[in-house]
Amino acid sequence: MSDLWLRRPLSPAVLHILLALTDGPRHGYAIKQEAELRSQGQVRLKPGTLYEAIQRLLDADLVREARGDCHPSNGQEAQRRYYALTARGRKVLRQEIEQLSRFVDYAHTKLEPA
Amino acid sequence: MTRLYRVLLALYPRWFRERYEAELVEAFAAERARAEHRGPIGTVRFWIEMLLDVVASAYRTRRRGARRVSTQPPRRSFMEGLSQDVRHAVRQLVRQPVFSAVAVLSLALAIGGNAIIFAFVDGFVLHPFAYPEPDRVVTIGSTFPRMSDEERFVEAISLPEYLDISRMRSIESFAVFDLGNRNISGGDRPERVFTGLAVTDPFGPFRLPPALGRGFAPGELAPGGPDVAILSHRLWRGRFGGDPSIVGRSVRVNGRPTSVVGIMPPELLILGVDLWIPHGSNPEEMPRRMRQFTLVGRLADGASLAEANAELSVIAAQTAASYGAEFEEYESWRLSATPWVEALMRDIRGSMQLMRGAVAFVLLIACANLSSLLLARSTTRQREMAVRLALGAARWRIARHLLAEVALLALAGGAAGLLLAYAGLPALVDLVPPQLNTLGVTAAINGRVLAAAALFTIGSAALVAVLPVLQSTRANPHDALKAESRGATSARTTLRLRHGLIVAEIALAVMLLMGAGLFMRSLANIRAVDPGFEPANVLTMRITLPVEKYQGTAINRFFQELVDRLGQSPGVRAVSVASQFPPQGPFSFSFSIEGRPAPDNSLPTALVTVASTDHFETLRVPLVAGRRFTAEDRENAPRVAIVNQAFASRFFPGRPALGERIRFGSGDDISEPMQIVGVVANTRNRGLSSPPSPEVFVPLHQQTVNNQLFLLVRSDGDAAALLPVVRQQIAALDPDQPVYAVRTLEDVIAAATFRNELPMILFGVFAAVALTLAAVGIYGVMSYAVSARIQEIGVRVAVGADRRDVLWLVLGQVLRLTALGLSIGLAGSFAASGAIRRALFEVQPMDPATIAAVVGVLGAVALAAAWLPAARATRVDPVNALRCE
Repeated sequence: MSDLWLRRPLSPAVLHILLALTDGPRHGYAIKQEAELRSQGQVRLKPGTLYEAIQRLLDADLVREARGDCHPSNGQEAQRRYYALTARGRKVLRQEIEQLSRFVDYAHTKLEPA
Repeated sequence: MTRLYRVLLALYPRWFRERYEAELVEAFAAERARAEHRGPIGTVRFWIEMLLDVVASAYRTRRRGARRVSTQPPRRSFMEGLSQDVRHAVRQLVRQPVFSAVAVLSLALAIGGNAIIFAFVDGFVLHPFAYPEPDRVVTIGSTFPRMSDEERFVEAISLPEYLDISRMRSIESFAVFDLGNRNISGGDRPERVFTGLAVTDPFGPFRLPPALGRGFAPGELAPGGPDVAILSHRLWRGRFGGDPSIVGRSVRVNGRPTSVVGIMPPELLILGVDLWIPHGSNPEEMPRRMRQFTLVGRLADGASLAEANAELSVIAAQTAASYGAEFEEYESWRLSATPWVEALMRDIRGSMQLMRGAVAFVLLIACANLSSLLLARSTTRQREMAVRLALGAARWRIARHLLAEVALLALAGGAAGLLLAYAGLPALVDLVPPQLNTLGVTAAINGRVLAAAALFTIGSAALVAVLPVLQSTRANPHDALKAESRGATSARTTLRLRHGLIVAEIALAVMLLMGAGLFMRSLANIRAVDPGFEPANVLTMRITLPVEKYQGTAINRFFQELVDRLGQSPGVRAVSVASQFPPQGPFSFSFSIEGRPAPDNSLPTALVTVASTDHFETLRVPLVAGRRFTAEDRENAPRVAIVNQAFASRFFPGRPALGERIRFGSGDDISEPMQIVGVVANTRNRGLSSPPSPEVFVPLHQQTVNNQLFLLVRSDGDAAALLPVVRQQIAALDPDQPVYAVRTLEDVIAAATFRNELPMILFGVFAAVALTLAAVGIYGVMSYAVSARIQEIGVRVAVGADRRDVLWLVLGQVLRLTALGLSIGLAGSFAASGAIRRALFEVQPMDPATIAAVVGVLGAVALAAAWLPAARATRVDPVNALRCE
């Protein structure tokens, strides 16, 4: 498997999921809440989109399941799957952010009078 | 709500659903909790968002899933290619909404019409009854050539004849019954119900068990058996509220306590009989001439209809040999077995077949139209096709594109057509005359109709696709891509094909128009028929006196008293009772003329009507010679009769009938001689569309008593307004006496003409649809032809053609096509005239006036359809036309 199926630049949904996982493993709904919080409500991941994107990231080996890495606090939590970034995922994210920041720099030079 | 969401999740591939369902639902629930505060609009928005989310992500998952399993390079599977074709087709059709709408609508009309007619054919002819193997249930009919050529199925056989027939091996378990009416009480009010008087158990041949209880036991059917009854399902539901405890209880039939032993299943409504009671007679002791029994049997296992008929002809010959000397009517008499369904539906079968043919034409026209539209489109897309061919696309791939489009159109048309049929069927079922409804048959959309509609859809798709597919795959990329040619050569073949289709459409439309026109003329002729009496302001009803209460002279005393009382009531002009009245005359009898041996020993028959004194005044039938009946024509007075002109001229040609004497019957069973004292004008007494039959009228008091008579009351004004007066007078004589079949004479006549009206209505509708479709087709082809020839027209205008020349260029073309279509259509009508002739009245299938009207209408419609394109052609600016491209 490769990241053949991940279009570049990464879609906002994918980007936000990867970012949400930088702090450590989270379950799906926590990813969604984190993404909404960080974007101040700009990004609203709907359930279908969220899990479809997660599956895509799993397939592309950017994210892995992290069942053992967490400590469920109650029974309900135990049913949830946790996801964590893979090394590859971290690398792709970093590349993407670098690319984006270069793009942002370039955009600034165009907008601000030299 | 969450359940609905779970249903939506079915859109995902299974593996995805299994993995994420719990989490998706949890996330959904959390979202929904947040959305709840946003009011109804917020809720709707929330659901739309969720729906789009599921659809979009499921689509992405599936697409990816499909690729995940495939190897590289991705080679598309057949199914994928197909789904691509379908998506392409959807886009094409959405992009041309007018074309799609016209196509779907015309197919919907045609398929819907076919489905409705098929529902009728299925419900009334193919599968009207729900008992097992209906084809094997047969009825025995008899024909007595000495009396009439008519073959009778219902009330056709006498019990001694039944005993002869019951010896046969190829038919078993006969249901034998007489029909009559009985008053039933034990409920809120007395009611007159159609009754079967069973000689054998009525369940026998139908092989359906009673809904409740049992059938008749042999002991109950024997003479002197107990009073028992079986009720029809509808009577049980309607009158006794479907109470199952009715079985074993007692109801009163004509005043006698009778115990109910069984309930018929709902599928079994034999001839509309609601009440079954034993006939209670010994068949061997019944007279041979009392042929009022109906026989229904089932073909024995392994026996065929032909075997049964062979056996019956042997039996008929044996009976004739044994009894022919005593009963002369047995000479060359015939017995026959006919499937029960066929015998019952004899009358409507023919018109059903006609309808089927007509509506099939509509479907063909719709297909031709669509085919033509697609041909036009495939020409404009010629380059696209050529490019794709040149780039190496397989020809079948291109054909598949087109097929996908046609299939989608047909599918949409079929679905819309079914909806149309579903909506339109009840209205048409209401048009069915009530005498068919009493048989318990009706038309409905069932599995067979759905299957037929599917077949129509597939068939029409195949028909539609054939020409465009052939045309498009034949495209030659080399020619089509040459810049100058614009695919001109193949445009010309396409145009030729489309001209052919237009001619076919016109021809089919002509045949339908001819049908509609002929039925219209037929109906007009029937309406114009002088019935020989004045139907306005006459109220009719049937009165049947129960035999338990009225016997002998009491019967005629009741009727005479009723007539006398009503005659003095305000608003009544004239009143009479009679055993039958025009336009229907079911009762006929054989008779002989005194002093004249019947030629070749066969007895003539005539309608025989028992009538009270004022009968001719009530109907306003003029007296031609002699006198009317008077109060003097009583029981002990000399026997008299009045005949109609048809009788007088048939049996006494060239000399007066007055003074001649006739007798009814023959042999031992002969009446006293009656002297003819009057001749009245003819009425249409065998239906409005048949010539008047010879008829004999005899006075009420001089005949064997008849406990069932019709009351006819002529009023000063609205006949129906007299009903309370009539009821009041009847109640004054006998408060328990019901009346039924209350109708005005005008309603009776309207019901009689209905059979001629229905085909006219349906053919009219079909013809209108056909005409519209043909007009659309002509318009489409001509518009296309004008745009294809725009340069040519430009050149013509440039070299001096004026507007009229250009107009004629287009209209002339249309007229040529129309003339060709008309000739073919008229030839087709001529070929089909045999099928329609029997359904027409006093108009020939190739009626010149109808032909003229059809030619006129069709020509006008064709010219109107071509007018817009022709007008556009006249506005062609030569400079622009020659410059473009």
